[in-house]
Amino acid sequence: MNDDLSQRHSAFRFHGSWLEFARIAFPNLLLTIVTLGIYRFWATTREREYLWSKTDFIDERLEWTGKGMELFVGFIMAFLLIGLPLIVIQLISQGLIFRGEAILAAAMTLMMFLLLFYLTGVAYFRALRYRLSRTYWRGIRGGSDDPGFQYGVAYMWKSVMGWLPIFLGVPWSMISLWNDRWNAMSFGPHRFSATAEWKPLMKRYLLFYLVPFLVFIGAVVFGISMAASGGTPDALGSTGMAVGAIFAIVAVLSFYLFLPLAALAYYSKYFRLAVGGLRLHNLEFDFRARAPDWILFFLANMAIVICTLGIGYIFMPYRNWKFFVDHMEAYGEINIDDLTQSETVVAKHGEGLLDAFDVGAI
Amino acid sequence: MSAFFDAWHYDGKSAVRRKVEVQIIGAQFFLLETERRHGPFAFSDIEYVTHKDDADVYGLKGTDGWRLMLSGPVPTDLNAMLPARRNYGGWVDRLGFGKAAVAFTVASAAAVAVVLLSPQWLAPLIPSSVNEKLGDALVGDFGGRFCSTPAGDAALKKLVASLDANPDDLQVEVAKIDMINAVALPGGKVILFDGLVKQARSPDEVAGVLAHEIGHVREKHVMQALLRQMGLAVVLGGIDGNSGALVNNMLSMSYSRESEAEADAHSMKALGGANISPIGTASFFDRLSEMDGSARSKASDNGIAGYMSSHPLSRSRKDAFEKSIVKGKNYKPALTPAEWTELKTMCTQDRKAKSGFGFDFN
Ligand SMILES: [Zn+2]
Repeated sequence: MNDDLSQRHSAFRFHGSWLEFARIAFPNLLLTIVTLGIYRFWATTREREYLWSKTDFIDERLEWTGKGMELFVGFIMAFLLIGLPLIVIQLISQGLIFRGEAILAAAMTLMMFLLLFYLTGVAYFRALRYRLSRTYWRGIRGGSDDPGFQYGVAYMWKSVMGWLPIFLGVPWSMISLWNDRWNAMSFGPHRFSATAEWKPLMKRYLLFYLVPFLVFIGAVVFGISMAASGGTPDALGSTGMAVGAIFAIVAVLSFYLFLPLAALAYYSKYFRLAVGGLRLHNLEFDFRARAPDWILFFLANMAIVICTLGIGYIFMPYRNWKFFVDHMEAYGEINIDDLTQSETVVAKHGEGLLDAFDVGAI
Repeated sequence: MSAFFDAWHYDGKSAVRRKVEVQIIGAQFFLLETERRHGPFAFSDIEYVTHKDDADVYGLKGTDGWRLMLSGPVPTDLNAMLPARRNYGGWVDRLGFGKAAVAFTVASAAAVAVVLLSPQWLAPLIPSSVNEKLGDALVGDFGGRFCSTPAGDAALKKLVASLDANPDDLQVEVAKIDMINAVALPGGKVILFDGLVKQARSPDEVAGVLAHEIGHVREKHVMQALLRQMGLAVVLGGIDGNSGALVNNMLSMSYSRESEAEADAHSMKALGGANISPIGTASFFDRLSEMDGSARSKASDNGIAGYMSSHPLSRSRKDAFEKSIVKGKNYKPALTPAEWTELKTMCTQDRKAKSGFGFDFN
């Protein structure tokens, strides 16, 4: 490990050990199973308490103050207010199809889809807000006064705008939404500013975007050259067969190997640009992981999960957090006297219902 | 662990870290800095926040970000006044890990048992008006797909009356849909699909299938399945996505097999009571189950797959019907040839009934 050299000057340091984490993760797994999954909200909370408390920012540990009960109550509310109505709507639309009212049923299904689409956007925003408001450093926390309802609308139209030009707008929509989210957040008295640009991301995106086309074009060219070489398929003989087999293997590999690799390369660039565009008062941020780091990280994760027959899955929160903190970097300075308490509201459960959608925030 | 007792304080207003000494005065305390005194604070307002490396972190009710961090050997007089540390969360810490795990297991098993077993008792308690409304809500007039001719209706009525003692609570219809299927719905509704009637070689075959569906109605299977599904959705709701759905499906599958056996038993009894030979039903199952893969996939165009998916055809079912034949009994056909022709051609004669399924608009 070259941790010491590269991390000596990093503002973020992670001191956790996977053995300590195992002592949290295994009892969590057991309790989650015997409670039919209900304990998982407390399990998540305990894991975060550990991971946060083992993370240094400059000279003080982070603190996670979220509660399992908050997540649980939020889940119940989400089930009652969203899950149950969805089930009822589905039943009704099925009944409508039986009665031949297919157009009405389709309209209801569309409405349901749009509502879910909107709530997904709101949930992303709320998850980030929830995490910042429960993260303390030197007794100071983050948060936002924005409930995220407008963000939900932006999420809908920007996602659609990203898809419309044959999916070429995706990098723009991802960066633009990241900026929207973070520009609404603050830590202590300071507002984040997010000014990431999307244009530098296009080259990587095209790489990912073009893999399927390249494979397709390769197949067409191959087919034409085969046809041009004059042989009917059955006259090609064994060499033709062998070439065909190799080509088929390459085509399959491209899809199952190159496509994920290209996706990771794209995502690594996205994350680097997105974090690099972040600013908090006099602090600037940087994420140092490059595409090979992400690829190694992913392969190692897969190896761990497969070699442990799936049990290694419970270490994924640990590995994700460690990867994140190890590559996070901050420059600039903080004036401790200026860093006063956040004035943002702390959404209690009930009020902050959608805090419950604790989807991956960062 | 540091060997010396240390106390640090954040006031929650700024990020300044203060080295303090704790001065206890009865149920209150002050935090003393070299030139400042903070407090007094009541011990009853102190709450445990988290454990940070070698320090326990306490907060103050009502003051956001207020922290008292104690490391090293805490003096006994102070320790006695502080709240207990939290490890797993309230209940588990109070019971101890082992006892809590056992208690949760028992509670979970009990919850699943109640959900699986109670529908049998609950379903008959649901008033028939609710059942009828639910059935109406689900299908209504089936989008005008029910067939009706005076002679056909009379034949169907005769068939139902021979199979059930209270034919008035039943609403049996033939739907103009070219699928081999039959369904029982809440509120005594039974729908025979025209495809099933058309391919039957004798009225006895239709009688067996109809009696089976009436069995579902009389045993309240549909309501039971509905209640069980809802209960499982709630109980297993805590388990995320796929594994929850898998467990749910497996549990309901085993119950549906039980229901099928009950409905078959009901059918054999009804056939015996009506003096209708069960050999027809047995040969119906035989014809369906003897189709090999290719015939089956071709047949799925005609919807045979519909009946097969809800009614797995095993040899044992066919054998059971064959065994229920009583030698020497004077069986009579379920319908006269004229009545049978009327029933079979009912949907062809009724030109007003809409045909097809779902999104079919002609
Ligand atoms: Zn059945």
